[in-house]
Amino acid sequence: MVSSNDVQRLFLQGVFSRGILSFKHAQVLWEKCFEAIQAADPTLDIRFSDKREDWDRFVANINISLNCLDLEFRHLTDEQTGREMYALVNSKDDEIAQMATDYTPVEIAYFKAVVEQIMLAPHEAYSVSSLVALREVNSLKTNMTKAQAEIVLGSFVAKGWLLKSRRGRYSLSTRTLLELLPYLNSTYPEECLECVICQEIVTHGVACSTPNCKARLHYHCCRKYRHRNAKCPSCSQDWPQDLKSMTPVGEDAIKDGEDEGRRTRRKSTADGSGDEDEDEDEDDDDDEMAEEPTQTQSQPEGKGKKKKVPTDMEVDEDDEDEAPEQTQANGRRRSTRTR
Amino acid sequence: MARAGPSRTQRSQRAPQPSQSQSQRPVRGGRRVAVEDDEDENTGEHDDPDMDIDESQGRGDADAELDRKASDLVRFALFMEHKRTLIRREDISKKVLGSNSRSFNPVLERAQKLLRKTFAMELVELQARNYREQDVAAGDDLQEARNATGVKKKTAAAGSKTYILRSTLDPIIIEHAARTDERLYEEQIADGQEDGEDDDDMARCYGSIISWSSSDQLGAMGVLHTILALILANGRSMSDLDLRANLKRLGLSSTGSVSMNAQSTHKSLPIDTYLGQLMKQGYIDRIKQGETKATGGKRGRAPAATQGNPDENQALEWHWGHRSYSEIGEQAVATFVAEFMVERNRDNDAEDDDDEDGRAAQGRGKGRAKQADGGGDKKLKTVYGAIERAAGGNLSKIK
Repeated sequence: MVSSNDVQRLFLQGVFSRGILSFKHAQVLWEKCFEAIQAADPTLDIRFSDKREDWDRFVANINISLNCLDLEFRHLTDEQTGREMYALVNSKDDEIAQMATDYTPVEIAYFKAVVEQIMLAPHEAYSVSSLVALREVNSLKTNMTKAQAEIVLGSFVAKGWLLKSRRGRYSLSTRTLLELLPYLNSTYPEECLECVICQEIVTHGVACSTPNCKARLHYHCCRKYRHRNAKCPSCSQDWPQDLKSMTPVGEDAIKDGEDEGRRTRRKSTADGSGDEDEDEDEDDDDDEMAEEPTQTQSQPEGKGKKKKVPTDMEVDEDDEDEAPEQTQANGRRRSTRTR
Repeated sequence: MARAGPSRTQRSQRAPQPSQSQSQRPVRGGRRVAVEDDEDENTGEHDDPDMDIDESQGRGDADAELDRKASDLVRFALFMEHKRTLIRREDISKKVLGSNSRSFNPVLERAQKLLRKTFAMELVELQARNYREQDVAAGDDLQEARNATGVKKKTAAAGSKTYILRSTLDPIIIEHAARTDERLYEEQIADGQEDGEDDDDMARCYGSIISWSSSDQLGAMGVLHTILALILANGRSMSDLDLRANLKRLGLSSTGSVSMNAQSTHKSLPIDTYLGQLMKQGYIDRIKQGETKATGGKRGRAPAATQGNPDENQALEWHWGHRSYSEIGEQAVATFVAEFMVERNRDNDAEDDDDEDGRAAQGRGKGRAKQADGGGDKKLKTVYGAIERAAGGNLSKIK
């Protein structure tokens, strides 16, 4: 039995198969769903409308139906293209959600490690070079080869979780920002910058160059804002004519080859015990996502809290190598911008 | 992230009140044993015509609890299906139902409603293998005999307690949703380009409503369907040696591997690993010859890998897994093979024409092509019939 409600159902199935899509894409998809339903039952009286208000109503209806499932059809403006992007996002971090990934727990731990380096990158660069990203495999307690890590990184990019720029730097995709925003906000509260115009997170944009001014803006927000205004909305200083002479946020804030010591969230001073502390720290947040070394056996994973066993000598060695570097990084962490 | 227990729902949705069991026990205390779970109370209540206010509130609670579990089950099913993992009843009990695992049926019922209403999907229980085999053999007497002796209850044999998620949309809609649409294709390409990379090993898209090409490993899927076709046309089973010989003939040797696109975390999977994965997903099944019936539906975990010593391999036999019967269907595979064969022959005919007769005969060639088209249906039926006979008759629909 075909019904007019099938439009929305088919649309959701289409979204499932896509992951993330732009507003225009979503709207065309919606229209095509109408056509498909009408092809199945020409007698149905349904009509597509390209009015924005009808779209918004459609999205609102979707979200009503998804509400009890803790899913949401959310949207966010892409920081690089300024396009409005839509994705179906899980809004509840429960035990069931931990199974929502095809990645193994080790791969997820790796993803989180890379995200951490991206969030803590110096000069508000919110990106890491592939070198830094690959080095993060050393922080994992299971051993993943760098060659394997490269493929896994490629998979993160192919599935739209990370972006890889032409310079070869990794940054957070819109999909990751949509999906992980609560996690980022709670884990890196200091590093989450808000755009003064749209109030959304900024990982790619510009900063007011006045010392101590906290204004950060997306490029697309900035462009819009500067049509009418010449002063910073926050400190009221005149801004330079050229957008390019403003202080960049994101990849442009860092030059190739600039020092990117490994950073960790912990602010505490660097001493011998620092390493252990940090390890515990990582354990804690690993629990938020699935944590079991061997996922391949479809064994139901208890509470996801089994202790990881440090497996390999190799890992230990690497840890030692890293220790001095880490302590240094700890010492000068978040010195970020000196203005 | 802690899973909300029953107590939490009560707290969040209702004003504080005595817990259910307390409020109800006085009414039916006589019938009850000391410790009972919510399930019992719930089903009991529906039969109870005269409830006091206290109890109806209790029922509202149990109701909300069921709804919440149903939502959890829907989430669980969506996430598992995303990975193509079989949804096992025991996992549902553990991950979703928690303490009151006896509420399985009412929760499943509500989850089905929710799935159909929201996504036009439903959970389908896969058939256990032994039941299917009886079906195929049409052994009514056998089954009756079994029922009589009570060796196997019919109900126990029918279900595998394993589920997959399937679309309930009208077949016409599904067909439409798989077609390429130009405007959709343009948008899809436009969206994809923002990443700046258009590698060859990126998933391709074809501008269909359901983007079937981008969410699966297409190459690997092709290998699976080839294997299914081989097994079917070989009489619904194939020895391990034969399968490997066939795959080798197609360029996939036993030491070879199936390549994956960039979405995967592996560049390629060795064929043994891939076969193991397909077994785990329930697409294919490998059993030792001669013990078909013994293993039955209560098979535990799928065997981890397909490695073993060669002597053992000899006795191994490949069959369709129960997932393939419910997701793909014998008829669909046979139709696909038939279409493929007929289509290919037609191409060959056309080429032959060009080769033999040259340009002068082109007009005639076209005429013949038309003729072939007319005969296409007939040919298709012939090939389909041949596959059916090769399989041993009675190709099953999707179950």
